[in-house]
Amino acid sequence: MGRMNMSYSDLLLWWSVSISWSAIFLIVVSLYLYWDRHKRHLEGAGILTRFSLRDFVFVWVLTGLLGLYIVSIYRGSSTIFAAGNIVVEVILLVYTFGKRIRK
Amino acid sequence: MIALSVVLGFFNEYKAEKIIDDLRQSVSLKAVVIRDGKPAEIDSRLVVPGDIVSVYVGDIVPADMRVIESKDVEVNESVLTGESFAVEKSPASIDIKHPTAQQLTNYFFMSTVIVHGSGRGVVVATGRQTQFGSISRSLARSRPETEFQRGVRKYGNMLITLALALVIGIFALNALVGHPLIDSMLFSLAVAVGLVPELMPAIVTISLSQAARRMAKKHVVVKRQVSIEDFGNMDILCTDKTGTLTSGSISLKEYWSCTENRDQRILEYSLLCNSAAVGEKITGNPMDVAIWEYAHSNGIRENLKSYSIVEQIPFDYQRRMMSAVVKTGTGLILITKGAPESVVPRCKHAELDGESRPIDALQNTINSKLAEHSAAGYRTLAIAYRRVEPKRSYSAEEESDLTFLGLLIFTDPPKKDARQAFDKLKELGVDVKILTGDNELVAAKICEELSIPVYRVVKGSELNQMSLTEIRAAAEETTIFARITPEQKLDIIKALKANKHVVGFMGDGVNDAPALFEADVGLSVDSAVDVSKDAADIVLLHKDLLVLANGIEEGRKIFGNTTKYILMGTSSNFGNMFSAAGASLFLPFLPMLPMQILFMNLFYDVANMTLPSDNVDEEYTKLPRHWDIAFVRKFTLFFGPFSSLYDFLTFGIMLFIFNASPALFHSGWFVESFWTEVLVIFVIRTRRIPFFTSRPGKWLTALTLSCVAIGTILPFTVLGNFLGFTPLPIEYWALLILMVATYLLLVDAGKVFFYKICRF
Repeated sequence: MGRMNMSYSDLLLWWSVSISWSAIFLIVVSLYLYWDRHKRHLEGAGILTRFSLRDFVFVWVLTGLLGLYIVSIYRGSSTIFAAGNIVVEVILLVYTFGKRIRK
Repeated sequence: MIALSVVLGFFNEYKAEKIIDDLRQSVSLKAVVIRDGKPAEIDSRLVVPGDIVSVYVGDIVPADMRVIESKDVEVNESVLTGESFAVEKSPASIDIKHPTAQQLTNYFFMSTVIVHGSGRGVVVATGRQTQFGSISRSLARSRPETEFQRGVRKYGNMLITLALALVIGIFALNALVGHPLIDSMLFSLAVAVGLVPELMPAIVTISLSQAARRMAKKHVVVKRQVSIEDFGNMDILCTDKTGTLTSGSISLKEYWSCTENRDQRILEYSLLCNSAAVGEKITGNPMDVAIWEYAHSNGIRENLKSYSIVEQIPFDYQRRMMSAVVKTGTGLILITKGAPESVVPRCKHAELDGESRPIDALQNTINSKLAEHSAAGYRTLAIAYRRVEPKRSYSAEEESDLTFLGLLIFTDPPKKDARQAFDKLKELGVDVKILTGDNELVAAKICEELSIPVYRVVKGSELNQMSLTEIRAAAEETTIFARITPEQKLDIIKALKANKHVVGFMGDGVNDAPALFEADVGLSVDSAVDVSKDAADIVLLHKDLLVLANGIEEGRKIFGNTTKYILMGTSSNFGNMFSAAGASLFLPFLPMLPMQILFMNLFYDVANMTLPSDNVDEEYTKLPRHWDIAFVRKFTLFFGPFSSLYDFLTFGIMLFIFNASPALFHSGWFVESFWTEVLVIFVIRTRRIPFFTSRPGKWLTALTLSCVAIGTILPFTVLGNFLGFTPLPIEYWALLILMVATYLLLVDAGKVFFYKICRF
């Protein structure tokens, strides 16, 4: 992967906005679902599940990934892209097997 | 769609006609009417109000009639009420406000059977105006929508709303940014079509057919496949008592003497003083038949060889007893068997451990035993005897100065496997309610024997006084509805459905047909009357009630797999379409051609074709589940953007790394989109860790991976070229593998969060 091709470079800002928009949308939906659950608990219709920061792990990872993807595309760096993905995959694998397999 | 509607309409019409025809067939008989002072035998359908009709043993009552004359007449009304024991009828007026049919002992009802005596009545209602006719009226209508059908309709409405919003929104935005109008219109339509899970009818049909075949192997006939999913989602099973929970025939439960040591003579004497005809088959009075059946199964018959019957004094309704003079090794005895209230007053003594004592000393014990059995809903007969001198003939006058020997206790017992079956239903989260025409004591006893906790008992007469709101509240709290009419059964089913329950009803009589028709799942048994089987969705061919639990689990698996398809299809399509819509705004060309969108959508559905055979996690089948459109919406909103995020990443890679031409851009996005959309099936199909703690079905794995392989090589093929794709560079594949792996792991982490918040 080499340097970014400049033919579409004027679209880069649009692209950054779009990819950020989908990530922000996802985070907003997550917060909305959490708030909705909390509201229903206050109305007596549901049991509030105890949440820890680890439960929001995908939100932190998502935010990190968004940064990674924007930076690697802007820089046109395959190394950053590949290394970042591998690190994130390891984190997610540890999360998946470390926490859930015990259940 | 029009052809389908015509076929469905015809099918529904045909079924309704068949039900009515069965009802008609079951009542096409002769009746003896008194016209112009002379008896005449006419077709029962020609009987009119005002006719005086005579009825005899074995007759089926041709109309609803006020009894004007009766001679020991007993009627089996189980066809209407479900009660196994015959009811005595007399012209005497009754003084009950708002009586139920069961309480009208001075009425004969159409289609009930005269089992003893004879009588006359004046016809007050015929045909559809009768109690029986009201059942046919309630069946001659379209079948109500089941919970599954309601769910599919709501889902369809949700998709239509979403598709319309997308078409209008995407078209308007594309037109605004200057894309050609025709292209914008075609693209927005393709996006909307892409949102529709086209193969859903096929997936559902395949699932249901496979389940129906599996259930047929377990001797369960599914007459209406759409009911299978509701069978699984059912959270309340209402059941008739007689013939479904119980065997529907009277049996001798036990016999009792005044001491702990049961005197076997009670049984021997009741066999000697017995009116049943014993041949290859035992026929006659049901209680006498039950005594013989008990004797056969307990090897009592051999003990009778030392006795010989000299004479019998038959039963009649004035005495309410019968007697037999029997020769024993020590002389002649007169054995009397009959209603305790008639026999006990004629006893001067009672036997206690073989010793005769004045009955006064044991009267309290006998009375309390009778009260206990009555409260438990059992029927009892008393047995007494006395020594008699030899003479030419004996009469009813001999039935005095008797020695009380004991009681025979009769019941309509629960089916052998009923308890196990209901325990299993409880485990599966299904509440059981008894809806019976029989009395509340009998129903309560059955519940006790089956370990069904009784929270509240409501009688038909109480239900008559309730408003709709009160019926809805009562339906929620009550375990036993006793002495209720077919219309009331229907009202209860409707009330439970209105309370958002998925309701099953199991019954076997004509009186159960309206409720079977109304319930989300109508269950009948093979021994049921034709009307009942026609009205049912599912028929159990074996008496084994355990198949109920198997059927429920089967239904839950089907619902589970259908839900997977809906959740995956809607969220993935929504994500892709969301990306397409977004990309179309800033790209100088369409992100994917309309034909490519439709092809991908179709190909994705093909990958899902084996979903019906997928494994379903054990925890999913443990509780009933309901359609929850709000959940589908949340799922779509949450999981859709995951794929959008990776779609936008692909756009970035294609545009800014590979400087892609439109064809290369389309190919890159097609492959990424197809990989993510198809492989995410393995993540979303379970709440567990994919492959490690939840294995997908082998056919699903094979087909999905094959589709991924085909999708991968498609851009290199002639078909791919035809669709406008072009081969992708090798570097792209390396990036794609990394990207998709991260995507799948991220979705899996998101899944943990989502299911912690959203319960389904």
